[in-house]
Amino acid sequence: MNRYAISDLKIGHTESFSATVSSEMLKNFRELSGDINPLHNDENYARSRGYVGRVVFGMLVASLYSTLAGVYLPGERCLLHEVNIKFKKPVFVGDTLTVSGTVADVSETFSRIEIDARIVNQCGETVNRARIIAGIID
Amino acid sequence: MSRNEIFDRMTEVFRDNFDDDSIVLTESTTSDDIEDWDSLEQINILVALERVFSTKFSVNDVENLKNVGEMVDLIERHLA
Repeated sequence: MNRYAISDLKIGHTESFSATVSSEMLKNFRELSGDINPLHNDENYARSRGYVGRVVFGMLVASLYSTLAGVYLPGERCLLHEVNIKFKKPVFVGDTLTVSGTVADVSETFSRIEIDARIVNQCGETVNRARIIAGIID
Repeated sequence: MSRNEIFDRMTEVFRDNFDDDSIVLTESTTSDDIEDWDSLEQINILVALERVFSTKFSVNDVENLKNVGEMVDLIERHLA
Protein backbone atom coordinates (compact mmCIF):
# COMPACT_ATOMS: atom_id res chain seq x y z
CA MET A 1 0.00 0.00 0.00
CA ASN A 2 1.38 3.38 -1.02
CA ARG A 3 0.97 6.38 1.29
CA TYR A 4 1.72 9.38 -0.90
CA ALA A 5 1.13 12.87 0.47
CA ILE A 6 0.24 15.72 -1.87
CA SER A 7 3.80 17.06 -1.63
CA ASP A 8 5.19 13.70 -2.84
CA LEU A 9 3.35 13.76 -6.15
CA LYS A 10 4.32 15.51 -9.35
CA ILE A 11 2.78 15.57 -12.84
CA GLY A 12 3.86 12.46 -14.72
CA HIS A 13 4.14 10.17 -11.67
CA THR A 14 2.82 6.75 -12.76
CA GLU A 15 1.70 3.65 -10.89
CA SER A 16 0.37 0.38 -12.28
CA PHE A 17 -0.68 -3.15 -11.37
CA SER A 18 -2.16 -6.20 -13.11
CA ALA A 19 -5.16 -8.42 -12.46
CA THR A 20 -6.63 -11.45 -14.22
CA VAL A 21 -10.42 -11.69 -14.49
CA SER A 22 -11.88 -14.98 -13.22
CA SER A 23 -15.34 -16.57 -13.35
CA GLU A 24 -15.41 -16.26 -9.58
CA MET A 25 -15.08 -12.48 -9.88
CA LEU A 26 -18.12 -12.37 -12.21
CA LYS A 27 -20.13 -14.53 -9.81
CA ASN A 28 -19.22 -12.33 -6.86
CA PHE A 29 -19.99 -9.15 -8.77
CA ARG A 30 -23.37 -10.51 -9.90
CA GLU A 31 -24.30 -11.28 -6.31
CA LEU A 32 -23.01 -7.95 -5.09
CA SER A 33 -24.66 -5.79 -7.76
CA GLY A 34 -27.77 -7.78 -8.66
CA ASP A 35 -26.95 -7.32 -12.36
CA ILE A 36 -28.35 -10.49 -13.92
CA ASN A 37 -28.11 -9.32 -17.53
CA PRO A 38 -27.41 -12.48 -19.63
CA LEU A 39 -24.61 -10.82 -21.57
CA HIS A 40 -22.52 -11.22 -18.41
CA ASN A 41 -24.01 -14.43 -17.09
CA ASP A 42 -25.03 -16.71 -19.97
CA GLU A 43 -22.27 -18.04 -22.23
CA ASN A 44 -24.67 -19.07 -25.03
CA TYR A 45 -26.48 -15.76 -24.97
CA ALA A 46 -23.21 -13.84 -25.16
CA ARG A 47 -22.07 -15.95 -28.14
CA SER A 48 -25.43 -15.38 -29.85
CA ARG A 49 -24.71 -11.66 -29.62
CA GLY A 50 -21.39 -12.07 -31.38
CA TYR A 51 -18.98 -12.21 -28.45
CA VAL A 52 -16.42 -14.95 -27.81
CA GLY A 53 -17.84 -15.50 -24.33
CA ARG A 54 -19.48 -13.72 -21.42
CA VAL A 55 -18.66 -10.03 -21.36
CA VAL A 56 -17.22 -8.96 -18.04
CA PHE A 57 -19.35 -6.35 -16.25
CA GLY A 58 -18.03 -2.94 -17.21
CA MET A 59 -18.31 -1.76 -13.64
CA LEU A 60 -16.33 -4.77 -12.44
CA VAL A 61 -13.51 -3.69 -14.73
CA ALA A 62 -13.94 -0.10 -13.57
CA SER A 63 -13.77 -1.24 -9.95
CA LEU A 64 -10.05 -1.69 -10.56
CA TYR A 65 -9.84 2.11 -10.50
CA SER A 66 -10.80 1.88 -6.84
CA THR A 67 -7.70 -0.25 -6.29
CA LEU A 68 -5.56 2.06 -8.40
CA ALA A 69 -6.54 5.09 -6.34
CA GLY A 70 -6.98 3.50 -2.92
CA VAL A 71 -3.90 1.29 -2.94
CA TYR A 72 -1.43 2.72 -5.48
CA LEU A 73 -2.06 6.36 -6.42
CA PRO A 74 -2.20 8.07 -3.96
CA GLY A 75 -2.91 5.00 -1.82
CA GLU A 76 -3.87 5.02 1.83
CA ARG A 77 -4.65 8.75 2.07
CA CYS A 78 -7.05 8.70 -0.92
CA LEU A 79 -10.50 10.25 -0.87
CA LEU A 80 -12.10 9.52 -4.24
CA HIS A 81 -13.96 12.57 -5.61
CA GLU A 82 -14.81 11.72 -9.18
CA VAL A 83 -14.27 9.06 -11.85
CA ASN A 84 -15.22 9.67 -15.48
CA ILE A 85 -15.09 6.35 -17.32
CA LYS A 86 -15.07 5.40 -20.99
CA PHE A 87 -15.72 1.75 -21.82
CA LYS A 88 -13.73 1.20 -25.01
CA LYS A 89 -13.68 -2.56 -25.63
CA PRO A 90 -15.21 -5.68 -24.06
CA VAL A 91 -13.30 -7.70 -21.47
CA PHE A 92 -13.62 -11.49 -21.17
CA VAL A 93 -12.99 -14.10 -18.48
CA GLY A 94 -9.30 -14.96 -18.41
CA ASP A 95 -8.13 -11.57 -19.67
CA THR A 96 -5.15 -10.15 -17.83
CA LEU A 97 -5.57 -6.42 -17.37
CA THR A 98 -2.90 -3.87 -16.61
CA VAL A 99 -4.26 -0.84 -14.81
CA SER A 100 -2.16 2.30 -14.87
CA GLY A 101 -2.56 5.85 -13.70
CA THR A 102 -0.48 8.94 -14.39
CA VAL A 103 -0.77 12.15 -12.41
CA ALA A 104 -2.06 14.83 -14.80
CA ASP A 105 -2.56 17.68 -12.34
CA VAL A 106 -1.61 18.45 -8.74
CA SER A 107 -3.32 21.11 -6.63
CA GLU A 108 -1.60 21.65 -3.29
CA THR A 109 -4.17 24.34 -2.38
CA PHE A 110 -7.05 21.92 -2.68
CA SER A 111 -5.00 18.83 -1.79
CA ARG A 112 -6.19 16.89 -4.80
CA ILE A 113 -4.77 15.24 -7.88
CA GLU A 114 -6.15 14.37 -11.29
CA ILE A 115 -5.13 11.05 -12.76
CA ASP A 116 -5.27 9.87 -16.37
CA ALA A 117 -5.96 6.17 -16.02
CA ARG A 118 -6.30 3.34 -18.48
CA ILE A 119 -6.78 -0.40 -18.48
CA VAL A 120 -5.01 -2.44 -21.16
CA ASN A 121 -5.57 -6.12 -21.91
CA GLN A 122 -2.94 -8.79 -22.62
CA CYS A 123 -3.09 -7.91 -26.35
CA GLY A 124 -2.11 -4.32 -25.66
CA GLU A 125 -5.61 -3.00 -26.38
CA THR A 126 -6.97 -0.20 -24.24
CA VAL A 127 -10.29 -1.52 -22.94
CA ASN A 128 -11.09 1.32 -20.59
CA ARG A 129 -10.01 4.89 -19.92
CA ALA A 130 -10.82 7.19 -17.04
CA ARG A 131 -10.12 10.57 -15.55
CA ILE A 132 -9.93 10.26 -11.78
CA ILE A 133 -10.02 13.10 -9.26
CA ALA A 134 -8.82 12.17 -5.80
CA GLY A 135 -8.38 14.19 -2.65
CA ILE A 136 -5.46 13.39 -0.37
CA ILE A 137 -5.94 13.45 3.38
CA ASP A 138 -3.21 15.28 5.33
CA MET B 1 -10.08 42.06 -18.63
CA SER B 2 -13.25 43.85 -17.52
CA ARG B 3 -15.40 42.72 -14.62
CA ASN B 4 -18.18 41.89 -17.08
CA GLU B 5 -15.84 39.69 -19.11
CA ILE B 6 -14.79 37.85 -15.95
CA PHE B 7 -18.48 37.37 -15.11
CA ASP B 8 -19.15 35.97 -18.60
CA ARG B 9 -16.30 33.47 -18.43
CA MET B 10 -17.20 32.52 -14.88
CA THR B 11 -20.79 31.91 -15.97
CA GLU B 12 -19.50 29.50 -18.63
CA VAL B 13 -17.51 27.66 -15.96
CA PHE B 14 -20.56 27.33 -13.71
CA ARG B 15 -22.83 26.23 -16.56
CA ASP B 16 -20.30 23.64 -17.70
CA ASN B 17 -19.62 22.37 -14.18
CA PHE B 18 -23.29 21.99 -13.25
CA ASP B 19 -24.51 21.03 -16.76
CA ASP B 20 -27.06 23.81 -16.50
CA ASP B 21 -27.25 26.50 -19.19
CA SER B 22 -29.90 28.40 -17.26
CA ILE B 23 -27.46 29.54 -14.57
CA VAL B 24 -27.18 33.33 -14.37
CA LEU B 25 -24.63 34.65 -11.92
CA THR B 26 -24.89 37.90 -10.00
CA GLU B 27 -22.58 39.51 -7.45
CA SER B 28 -24.69 38.06 -4.65
CA THR B 29 -25.08 34.50 -5.98
CA THR B 30 -24.14 31.95 -3.29
CA SER B 31 -24.22 28.18 -2.87
CA ASP B 32 -27.78 28.59 -1.57
CA ASP B 33 -28.87 29.62 -5.07
CA ILE B 34 -27.50 26.58 -6.96
CA GLU B 35 -28.80 23.26 -5.71
CA ASP B 36 -25.72 21.11 -6.35
CA TRP B 37 -23.14 23.66 -5.20
CA ASP B 38 -21.55 21.88 -2.25
CA SER B 39 -18.00 21.93 -0.87
CA LEU B 40 -16.77 19.42 -3.45
CA GLU B 41 -18.24 21.41 -6.32
CA GLN B 42 -16.72 24.55 -4.83
CA ILE B 43 -13.30 22.96 -5.33
CA ASN B 44 -14.20 21.87 -8.87
CA ILE B 45 -15.28 25.41 -9.72
CA LEU B 46 -12.16 27.00 -8.26
CA VAL B 47 -9.86 24.55 -10.07
CA ALA B 48 -11.74 25.27 -13.32
CA LEU B 49 -11.38 29.02 -12.70
CA GLU B 50 -7.65 28.56 -12.16
CA ARG B 51 -7.45 26.97 -15.60
CA VAL B 52 -9.68 29.45 -17.41
CA PHE B 53 -7.85 32.46 -15.97
CA SER B 54 -4.37 30.83 -16.02
CA THR B 55 -3.67 31.42 -12.35
CA LYS B 56 -3.22 29.54 -9.08
CA PHE B 57 -5.08 30.31 -5.87
CA SER B 58 -3.63 29.99 -2.37
CA VAL B 59 -5.48 28.60 0.65
CA ASN B 60 -5.82 32.18 1.95
CA ASP B 61 -7.42 33.21 -1.34
CA VAL B 62 -10.20 30.66 -1.20
CA GLU B 63 -10.99 29.88 2.43
CA ASN B 64 -13.55 32.64 3.07
CA LEU B 65 -15.23 33.32 -0.25
CA LYS B 66 -18.83 34.31 0.49
CA ASN B 67 -20.36 34.78 -2.96
CA VAL B 68 -19.68 35.08 -6.66
CA GLY B 69 -18.81 38.77 -6.30
CA GLU B 70 -15.92 37.85 -3.99
CA MET B 71 -14.77 35.25 -6.53
CA VAL B 72 -14.71 37.94 -9.20
CA ASP B 73 -12.79 40.23 -6.80
CA LEU B 74 -10.25 37.44 -6.31
CA ILE B 75 -9.78 36.92 -10.03
CA GLU B 76 -9.44 40.66 -10.61
CA ARG B 77 -6.65 40.75 -8.01
CA HIS B 78 -4.89 37.82 -9.71
CA LEU B 79 -5.18 39.39 -13.16
CA ALA B 80 -4.01 42.83 -12.02
